[in-house]
Parts: sequence; C-alpha cells; structure tokens
Amino acid sequence: MDTLLKISQYVEQGQAEEAVEATRHALNVEKTPPIEILNKGLIAGLTAIGEKFSCQKAFVPELIIAGMAMKESLDILRPVFETSGVPSMGTVVIGTVEGDVHDVGKNIVAMMLQGAGFTVHDLGVDVPATKFVEAVKQYQPDILALSALYTPTRLAMKETIKAMEDNALRKKIKVIVGGAPIDQSFCDLVKADGYAPDAPQGVQLCKKWIS
Amino acid sequence: MKNEKIYIDRRQKINELRAKNEKMTPRERCIKAINFEEADRVPIDNWMVPEIKNGCMKYWGLDNEAELLEFLGVDIRDNYGPAYAGLEFKKHPDGTVEDLWGVRRKTVVYGKGTDHQGTYTEVAYSPLEHMKTAEEINAYPRWPSPDWWDFSKVKDECALWHPKYFILNKGDRLDRTAQLKPMMYLRGIQQTFIDLAKNPKIVECIRDHVVDYFVNYNPKVFKASGGEFDMFMMGDDMGGQSGPLLSVDMWRRYFRDAFRKYCDIAHSFGLKVMYHTCGDVYSLIPDFIDNGLDCLQSLQPRATNMDIKRLKQEFGKNLSFQGGMDIQQVLPLGKPEDVRKMVKYAMDSTKKGGGYIICTAHNIQVDTPIENVAALFEAYHEYGAY
Repeated sequence: MDTLLKISQYVEQGQAEEAVEATRHALNVEKTPPIEILNKGLIAGLTAIGEKFSCQKAFVPELIIAGMAMKESLDILRPVFETSGVPSMGTVVIGTVEGDVHDVGKNIVAMMLQGAGFTVHDLGVDVPATKFVEAVKQYQPDILALSALYTPTRLAMKETIKAMEDNALRKKIKVIVGGAPIDQSFCDLVKADGYAPDAPQGVQLCKKWIS
Repeated sequence: MKNEKIYIDRRQKINELRAKNEKMTPRERCIKAINFEEADRVPIDNWMVPEIKNGCMKYWGLDNEAELLEFLGVDIRDNYGPAYAGLEFKKHPDGTVEDLWGVRRKTVVYGKGTDHQGTYTEVAYSPLEHMKTAEEINAYPRWPSPDWWDFSKVKDECALWHPKYFILNKGDRLDRTAQLKPMMYLRGIQQTFIDLAKNPKIVECIRDHVVDYFVNYNPKVFKASGGEFDMFMMGDDMGGQSGPLLSVDMWRRYFRDAFRKYCDIAHSFGLKVMYHTCGDVYSLIPDFIDNGLDCLQSLQPRATNMDIKRLKQEFGKNLSFQGGMDIQQVLPLGKPEDVRKMVKYAMDSTKKGGGYIICTAHNIQVDTPIENVAALFEAYHEYGAY
C-alpha cells in the first residue's frame, strides 16, 4: 500500500506508533517531500476523522487519539520544515478565557490546527484578557481562538475582544470563539468573526480565513 | 416573608395561578406524572446556583430557601444522602482540598469584578492520571468506603418533607452515583478519553472500583431512608453539544451493565430512577430505556437531537422527562417573552398523558436576569395547568 495512504489511515485510526514509523519511512527511505507527507498523509487522515466526527460516526475518544497520532508524526516533520523553510499555514493564539479551567475541547482544536499546518501558541486555561493582549502583541497571529465551557465564563470572551479593541489589535486579527455554550448569536453578541460547533469545523473556518 | 406592597405585587401572579390550578399535593402530582398520568398541573423541579436563589429571595421578599421553594410551587425536595463521617479531607499547601475520591479540587472565580461573579469547584489534580497499569490503580490507597458515612439522619431529614413533597435522593454533585464522571475526576478528562479508545483494562479497572463503591453504598442509603425516598437520581455526562461523547457500542461495552445494576438496586427498594446527562444523548436513549431508566433529566434543548417534542413523540410511552428549559441562550440572553414562548412550547409538546416534570436543563446560572427567572416560573404556572 502507498505509504502516504497508510499514514493517513494510521492517523485516522489513532495509531500513533505506526503513523510515526510510516512518516519516518516516507521521509527517510522513500524521500517523499515533507509537504506531501503533511498534506496527503497527516492532513488527509485528520480530515477523514473530522468528517466522521461531524456526522457522528466517530466520537471524542477517536478524535483525540487521531489528533495525538498526527501530532507525534508532525514532530518528525517539524525539524525538516524548519530547515527547509516551508511556510506555516498561519499563526494562532489559543486559550480558555479567564475564570474557566476547561481545556479538553481547546486542546483538540489546538492539536488539529497544528495538524492542519498552523503555528499554534497555546496560552492554557483561565487566561486573563491582558495575557491574550500580550500574546497577540508578541506573536502577531492571524487568528485568536477563544474557548469556554460555562455560560457565565463565556462572558469573558467579550472582555477579551474588547481588550483587543482597546489596544488597537482587533483589526489585525480574526477572532474565532468556541465551546459548548457558543453559537452564532453569541458570536455576534461578542463581536467575534466566527464560531464553529466542533473542532473539525473550526479548523475549516481558520483555513478559509487564511486562504 | 416580607409584606411590603412591592413584594406582594410581585408574588401576586404566581399566587393567583397556583390557587386556581392546584388540587393535589406536590407528591401526588409528581407520582401521577412519573407514572404517565395527567395531574392537576405539570410538576415543577428547580435547579439554581446559590447566587440565583439569593437573588430570587430578594426579588420576591422571601426569607429562606424553604419559603422560596414553597412560593414557587416546586414539587420536588432534594435529599443529599448521609453525612460524611470519614477522615477529614486533606488540605494541601497550594489551597487544594481532597474530595471523597482523593481528587484535589480548587475554587475558581469567574466574572471577577462584574455583576455575574461566581465561583465553582474544579479538579486541580487527578491522582490516577499518570498510572500505567491496573495493578497500580488497584493499589491506590484512597478508594472510598461506604462505611465513611453517617446514615442515622437520612430518614429524619426526609420526614421534614414527607408526605407532602416528592423526595429525590440526589446525592451531592461530587459523590453522585455515576461511572464516567468519577473516572474523569480520578484520571483526568483527556486521559479518560484516551483510555476509552486505547486502554480497555485501565477503563475496566477504574470503572469496577467506582461501581463497586456505589453498589455497596446505595443500598445502605436507601435502607437508611426507611422508605421515604420516591426517586433516586444518578448522573453522568455522556453527551456533548453536538452528539454523544462516545459511541453507543462503547457505552454498551463499558457502562451498560452497571447502569442496569444501579437501576435494579433502586427498583428493588421501590424507587423510580432519574438519570442526569447533559448534551445530545439521543442515540443512547433506547439503551437507557432497555436497561431500566424511568426518567431522563436535562434535555438540553440547544444540544443537537434533543428537541423535547420529538423526544416525547419517540420515547414518551416508555420514558418520562425532567428538564428542557434552556440555560445557555434563552434564560441568560433572551427576553421574558422568549422565556414564556419556550415554556409554552415544552408544555404544549409534553403535557398530554403526563410523563413530564418541568425544570431547567441545568442550574440557572448567575448570568440570568431576575426578570427572566420570574417569567419562567410565572409561565410554568400559566401553561402547566390541565
């Protein structure tokens, strides 16, 4: 079987060791260009599991292990990308807003964004607006991604976006919001640029913004 | 109860509607509903965070929670089970405190400095997270014992409410009968999901310890109540906003048997069983019914597939429901008119033939304006009458 197809299947099935081994083989033995391994192997696998997740043919456990397989395989490619200068898809600063310590959804999104070729700066959980402002100044991302699980904690998204306006950063970034209590009307309320109901669709939206 | 005109005026609508509609005791009303019969009106349950309870007491001029529940026409009274009598929970220098399972928890403040400031208790350290084998997990020294509880006051606490009210043995949020939740607390949420996909032995090992505890603990609680409980509540979160967290096959493999066992034990004491789960669990509902569930709680209306009208049509002959009121959008962000529409829709969809207790899908949160809480309870009484 074609090694790239194997890589995509290993990622889709969350078989990290096999995915890493096949990535090494494609890179070192078959001398496949790393960008091709990324696109036709890792991203193809992640896209496949994302589509299954969106139509309830795969669930959170399968999505997480696929993301982990992808991340470990990406670690093999990253040094090559760094020396060969393959450009990043874009830069994302991501975090769970102040007052909220939930990170499973945020971690899945971060993992999948990395898998899709983005450079991701994950600020963690319970992140105050001031820290998001500092990170946006420092990393100059294309996208700011904000997560929350509870309805009262989601209001910190509004404060965070306002802090971007107050610091003249808002026009330089796209803001995506996500998490269980977030929908389009809440996205409009806090003046974010977009929302997605799950991680795979969030990645699609980020890719759309960048292209 | 305060008797200034402003409070009397605010209480008037609910008082008038209740006087007109109510012809049964709260317990009679709930028993009819849970047995798929129409009562005088749809029974009401109440889930609120403490900050909202305080706001309500202030708004309606009520002096304590008992007065609040009585005024609102809440038909169910919660019993939290026995009092903890084990060793004192260990406090750590970083401010975290161990719970029943030895999981370290911390208090997190949200909405700092705003009018919606509040706190909640969150997991700060999961003691099994880095363990690699079932042997290590078996050797964990902090598995709880059902003997750590003082059961002597359970019956007397229920007797305060019986026979007027319907008594729900609810348990505290942190030690409520469950399977997946304690596993997530002990092992960490992300690691639990990884285990579910890759480490069946670890899942089975932790699950068996958790189940063993509740299978021994619950009969002691039920016995201690001396027949005063009407319904037993267990709870796990198996649903996400847009689908179940895990597949039906995975649920059957890991969680079905103990779900049935928990139901069977409660039924053997003559209790009905209510099950709390947030999110979209539509595809799991037939299995819940097959394995003994009487009443599904939450019915989170903004989750996919959880439209109450559809659930009633498809499962309403075999399953009763509690919940359905939206705390994610309508209550915090809508207008009183939106709240009334939501209540009317739920009542119109479900009240025929009984089988429904109206309530919010989870606790009303601090981000909800008091006008919307007032509209909610007024609408319960306006649209709930048969």
